[in-house]
Amino acid sequence: MTEKLLSHLENIALWERPGHGGYLNALLTSFSQTFNTMLRRQRLILAAVVSFLPVLIPVMMAFFSLSSWEEDGRNVFIMMVEKVHINVLAPLLALFFATMLVGEDAEGQTMPYMLTRPIPRSSWVLGRFGAYLAIATTILCTSIALTFGGCTALSKLYFSQADLTLMLHYMGVAMAGLAGAGALTVMLGAMVKRPIVVSVVLLYGWQYAATAVPGLIDFFTIKKYVEALLPVMAEQRDNAQIIKILGSVNKELIYVAPMKALIMLCIIIAVFLGITILTVRWREYSAAKTLS
Amino acid sequence: MSIIIETSQLSKWFGEVVALNNINMTIEKGVTGLLGPNGAGKSTFIKLALGLYRPSRGTIKVMGGPPRNNLHVLRNIGYCPETDKFYDNMTGYEFVYYLSRSWGMSSMTARKVTEEVCEWVQMSERMHDPIDQYSKGMRQRIKIAQSLVGRPDLLFLDEPMAGLDPKGREEMFSLIRRLGDEGLSVMLSSHILYEIERVTDQVALLYKGALLAHGRIREIRDLIDQHPHTIRVNSSDPRSLSKCFLDDPGVRNISFEPGKLVLHTQDPNACYQKLNTFYLNKDKLVDGIECADDNLQAVFEYLTK
Repeated sequence: MTEKLLSHLENIALWERPGHGGYLNALLTSFSQTFNTMLRRQRLILAAVVSFLPVLIPVMMAFFSLSSWEEDGRNVFIMMVEKVHINVLAPLLALFFATMLVGEDAEGQTMPYMLTRPIPRSSWVLGRFGAYLAIATTILCTSIALTFGGCTALSKLYFSQADLTLMLHYMGVAMAGLAGAGALTVMLGAMVKRPIVVSVVLLYGWQYAATAVPGLIDFFTIKKYVEALLPVMAEQRDNAQIIKILGSVNKELIYVAPMKALIMLCIIIAVFLGITILTVRWREYSAAKTLS
Repeated sequence: MSIIIETSQLSKWFGEVVALNNINMTIEKGVTGLLGPNGAGKSTFIKLALGLYRPSRGTIKVMGGPPRNNLHVLRNIGYCPETDKFYDNMTGYEFVYYLSRSWGMSSMTARKVTEEVCEWVQMSERMHDPIDQYSKGMRQRIKIAQSLVGRPDLLFLDEPMAGLDPKGREEMFSLIRRLGDEGLSVMLSSHILYEIERVTDQVALLYKGALLAHGRIREIRDLIDQHPHTIRVNSSDPRSLSKCFLDDPGVRNISFEPGKLVLHTQDPNACYQKLNTFYLNKDKLVDGIECADDNLQAVFEYLTK
């Protein structure tokens, strides 16, 4: 067997060193590989099923409503997108996908394979983030579009230019929410040991608590800036609800202009991704294993 | 001879645990063995050389530059890790292709290179099978394949023989020798001297994070040969197998454990060769060999006194 192997090896000479692409090539490679890997994951099916559940609500309302008044499809659509798609599903999709973009390699001990490749760490992280954004946006926007379609079965929402523009606006906000929550969770995935737990606490605990508590701490949430981008001032309704729930507690709301909110979101995303890249460059991912 | 790795007062500690302490060493082109018992600091040294760790003190230069996040250095090196970890749900081909693309190759080049390296490590026939279905030896070979995709000048193999059966070890020895013949510099770690001896005579000896010796293997081997070496042989019929060693002048003592023959020998090389012959001749007496390193531990303790 050994002689056979040796004679086999004798016939094969080692190849020339292959060419090495530039930054863009590394970025696109990271994007396409992560995209393909995510498409194969079972969690994609679970995420899609969960994301498409809200579509059933307007359909059920259209067919099974016992109200003597026809439901306002426009209100239902706005309520569904703002409350479910943007505030619940966007962070959920970030948890599903973005948390593990770097964390999965760290936990699975496959990080050394990547960190010994001669590609810029930033291209690796940004390519992965881009793939997450592409997949999560596709799922969420499809769900919004289907919810829109379902709501047209009710009254006051049509496939008109105005209503379709409203839907596109919401899709843009949903994408901003995905990018913001994704940047936070990918950073946590690179930095902490249990990124999903910390992400849940921050996205669903801290963000809602900061919105409810009086003061200006809601400026330290992504939710604040995402909601400032909404086509209608949803926070006014939130404010009324909060006052109702908290009784005597009065919260002064300071609104952020959409453009300022957009700039702020871009800064937040850039800072979180920057910290992620620095963490990947700085952290010693194999150290925990060595110590154990 | 050109220097490929150069360290100066290199130290690494994790909290209060000192993994490497004040290593001053230059390693030249060729195949070099990093020898030491478990916990000696071999993997830490390799990870420092790969830039996966930052030195706590001192410096390390690989191919003339500091390795950490240095793409110029990383372009010249390959790494086969000790851990048996792979990406989920991948075939061997996909794994190597994925890492070839991550190296910075175009899709077409990555495909070509993947096929070439898989052929080089004799995995062409099984490369499209899921990695989960591979034997330990095949997984080891596919890990080596991914480390070769960039046609590195320097290759790090962390415990490449770990868990391999005698046949797998023989194939690995041949592969490493062939890589050396091709002009690659190879640094491999092991806690078994006889494994390293099969592929090189250059060795760096680490013990408890300190560099004990660096140079030719012969002097170290002479020391080790003064100590009886323990070899555990997995066998379905240890008693029949033991008869083959009764007349062996190197064997000092023979004992039995359930399903195992335990040999204490002064001439381990002869013993290993004999056992390999039994295995390769399909006598079915030898199922596997475990190389106990307790005698190596004794030598290290002797050297540190």
